[in-house]
Amino acid sequence: MHIMEGFLPVEHALGWSLASAPFVAWGVHSMHRQLQTRPEQRMLLGISAAFVFVLSALKLPSVTGSCSHPTGVGLGALLFGPLAMVPVGLVVLLFQALLLAHGGVTTLGANLFSLAIVGPFVATALFRLGRRFGLPLAGCVFTAACLGDLSTYLTTSIQLAWAFPDPAGGFFASLAKFGGIFAITQIPLAISEGLLTVLVVNALARFNAEELKRLPLFAQQGGGA
Amino acid sequence: MLIEQAAYANRWRRVSPQAKASLALAGLVAAFAAATPEAALRVAFLSGLITCIGAGVSGWLYLRVATPALGFLALSCLNLLIAVDSSFAWRWAPEALPEIAALAGRSLAALAALLGLVLTTPLADLIGLLRRLRCPAALLDLMVLCYRMLFVFSQAVRDTRTAQQARLGYATTRHGLRSLGYLTANLAVQVWQRSHALHLAALARNGDGALRFLAPHFAHAGSDTALAMLAGFLLILLARLWV
Repeated sequence: MHIMEGFLPVEHALGWSLASAPFVAWGVHSMHRQLQTRPEQRMLLGISAAFVFVLSALKLPSVTGSCSHPTGVGLGALLFGPLAMVPVGLVVLLFQALLLAHGGVTTLGANLFSLAIVGPFVATALFRLGRRFGLPLAGCVFTAACLGDLSTYLTTSIQLAWAFPDPAGGFFASLAKFGGIFAITQIPLAISEGLLTVLVVNALARFNAEELKRLPLFAQQGGGA
Repeated sequence: MLIEQAAYANRWRRVSPQAKASLALAGLVAAFAAATPEAALRVAFLSGLITCIGAGVSGWLYLRVATPALGFLALSCLNLLIAVDSSFAWRWAPEALPEIAALAGRSLAALAALLGLVLTTPLADLIGLLRRLRCPAALLDLMVLCYRMLFVFSQAVRDTRTAQQARLGYATTRHGLRSLGYLTANLAVQVWQRSHALHLAALARNGDGALRFLAPHFAHAGSDTALAMLAGFLLILLARLWV
């Protein structure tokens, strides 16, 4: 869910941009350092951004029978790491605003915070936590993708509730309102995206096990989900 | 992509992106600076008119591009019209109408400013503008590669989907999810394969650093930018003075 152009008040738009800025600086600095030691990563990151952009345009059948688009937050974080997802997410969100009029330039900071910072970091943390507790790979991938997706929508709900508190019930009533509305569409979608991510990792393990083993998060796993 | 089609086929294609970005920036400032919702709506209308009449973008195409965002705005405004009290019982909140009108006006004006830029300026020109504004080179490389590869990936998705559909891959929801999983996994593998091939191709041409491109030349860039800044200033002034 992207917040559209001009929807947030100016102080919120600036505030979320400032909140995202350190992560962008950290991500770009890390990418710059990585490119100096491994120049082949330049092409990989650029193509990864195109992959995430195209992934977000795919139609995903939801468990409710409707259709929507995956966010790619969980899969992107598992494949490329959460830190790489910050500059990649910045480029993808900027392109979505400029090529599809989806999202916006003034709301780029807020969208970046929910989609490219909170979602990927939550997904990665849950995946690592699950593996540490010895949970099956499929369960870890599903939980990471599904809850990474939901954390993105929860962050968007918080952003909207903060910007538009309910006249009667204040911030929490507004959060319940936005969260409730998102929950109707996003919980089934998050489950679908979790299942899709498990299928993707399974297919990678079956047909491209070598490529999967090269990924930092899957380096110790080897097998299928 | 409709926006890309319009961006390459409008009257302002050869106008400096700096001028168009200045006008869009002024449009965004005017959207937030508008004194009343009516003023913001007039700014939105004026920005749309400049794009359609000035740059020659078809009104039909403009509406098609704006429709998803307008739908989202309508839903969001409806959402804000509902109030929830402390016991989580909901009711209509007509007292929120002035705030919703201001929000809708601002969003429409900001959307019109953004559309004015993207419908008249190809993304390649905007990346060139960001390069002149000294955006980090690593981020620019990411943008250039992403822009070039997303068309390659889109074609790969279309071809794979057609092949899957021909084998009834999307006949049921279960099959559809599985086919989509295979498609995404196949695309994910292509990320490494294509990046490796591109890296080898770049090395073969001594390309081991940042990507280099010739900057396109725009005649009258200075006068275009001055004119756009003047128009932008007038737009902000009108937004403040219109009531």
